[in-house]
Amino acid sequence: MRTSAVFAAALSLVSFAAANSPVSQTYPPPQVWKNANLVHIISAEKNYVKENINVLIENIAKQPQDEYFLPFTTDQLARLGGVEVKDRKDAKAGPFVAEIVEVDPKRNTQYLRIQLPTPLKPGAQQTIGISYYLLDAYKPLPATINIEDPQFLSYSFSAYCPSAYTTSKQKTEVKFAFSNIPDYTRLPGSGDVAEFPVKQGAKLTYGPFDEKAAGAVEPVQVRFEFNRPVNHVADLERDVEVSHWGGNVAFEERYTWIQGGANLTNHFSRVKYQHFRLPTWHILREMRFPLRVGSSDPYYTDVIGNISTSHFRSNKREALLEIKPRYPLFGGWKFPFTIGWNSDAQNFLRKTATGGYVLNVPFLEGPRQAEGVEYEHVQVRVILPEGAENVKYTTTIPSSSIVSAKVVIHKTFLDSVGRTSLVIKARNLVDDFRDRELVVSYDYPLTASLRKPIVVIASSMAFFAGIWLLGNLNLQFSK
Amino acid sequence: MDSSLHEVWQAASSQPFLPAVGKNSQFAVGFTLLVGGLLLSAIFAIRTLRPINPPSASTDDEPERSFANLAVIGVPAALALGFGVVYMFCAVGVYV
Repeated sequence: MRTSAVFAAALSLVSFAAANSPVSQTYPPPQVWKNANLVHIISAEKNYVKENINVLIENIAKQPQDEYFLPFTTDQLARLGGVEVKDRKDAKAGPFVAEIVEVDPKRNTQYLRIQLPTPLKPGAQQTIGISYYLLDAYKPLPATINIEDPQFLSYSFSAYCPSAYTTSKQKTEVKFAFSNIPDYTRLPGSGDVAEFPVKQGAKLTYGPFDEKAAGAVEPVQVRFEFNRPVNHVADLERDVEVSHWGGNVAFEERYTWIQGGANLTNHFSRVKYQHFRLPTWHILREMRFPLRVGSSDPYYTDVIGNISTSHFRSNKREALLEIKPRYPLFGGWKFPFTIGWNSDAQNFLRKTATGGYVLNVPFLEGPRQAEGVEYEHVQVRVILPEGAENVKYTTTIPSSSIVSAKVVIHKTFLDSVGRTSLVIKARNLVDDFRDRELVVSYDYPLTASLRKPIVVIASSMAFFAGIWLLGNLNLQFSK
Repeated sequence: MDSSLHEVWQAASSQPFLPAVGKNSQFAVGFTLLVGGLLLSAIFAIRTLRPINPPSASTDDEPERSFANLAVIGVPAALALGFGVVYMFCAVGVYV
């Protein structure tokens, strides 16, 4: 009961997805703000889009204001993740509370509500930085290519940053991994610039634009070279299993990996693959997992069994697991696999002054790829020892990405009542959140810790008592 | 979520969790306890079970079936088996 109560309180602090959010806002949001200056940076360098909006907001109402709204389409909302809002001039202020509110379910536009820590007085200004990620952002163009062709992706967005308020001045920068950007929408320029965008290497700049009304959009599309695999993890199930008897923390990650790049026009040709083996190709050949120092006993399997094309380098400075898929991954190809490893408990587990235990593990530990990795659904399961109670947790993953958290019972070897497990589900994460902390505290009484040997001891004693009783039976015929 | 847990983690920096038996010793401890437990079990069985066809009617060959036999041999055997099984599980990589 106590554990349930703690979790009920913990969950009340978690920001849920739009479906669980209260409908409490009028449509459209009241015009109480003005964007005095806005810089919209779209980073398309990896296989997900990271957007940064740095905006100087000004309260134009007559009352202090503490809620700022940012619009998203319902399509974007399903792919939105990792929302973080900070004060650009005060790093100590910490991340602001940001959550999706469902203003009107029938409309295509929904809003992210940003709660300022202190209300802004009329006429006052504040610079805030909003960052978020959009998964599944690109479309290969052309959708199919030959094995030796370069890969191009397209991305559609608005040259004017979508805003619920009037924007006095703004510009949008788009950054790419390669400078080859063959197609992009051109807009009439202003001032000294005859045409937007301005191209500088691998960067396009739309603007600066003059004052735009609330809700103004200017759809544009860019098509750019991306000769790297588009790594999309549809499902990641990550288990962290704590053993007090063994002094071990075991990790296991089960991936459903999809290469989301351009599909092959023709069937895969081994001859062409061997012949055109170029280093910049859009084929996924290798993944590199930098694990924590001290990791050991790695394994790498799929549904067939062990995959031998892996290498583990472990020393005092690093523990790097390098794996090759069972087959090279082309666009549209899928590869489910499992990796796992062990580590000493002392690296992640500490004893608190109150007699409890506190565990600190990375929430996400995927591969570190130059092209990035996006995770659509993530389930992290922390399997605590049997009998652990009073479970609490916190994580530095943005709360808007956490979908649910609950405590369940997981039964496995030598268990009698099952192990206490904390299951956290998250969505739309990217590898930028790699190594973000997940801290879990719990109590583990001595009686609970002795449960496993006591079960064996009691079973043995019952067996011995049975033998003893059997031995005392006199089955001989009396003379 | 309880954001104070970061402070709890920092405060506990001087107390990393150390198991009663280290990973390198788990096999030796588990094996020794298991073998000891099985030997004691065997001794207990020999001293307790009555032969079905006794070779002679002599009362000298009768096994001791006192309750003390169960306590003196059975309990240590059960203890050794209980902890031995747990450590042997850990030693072979199934960290229970």
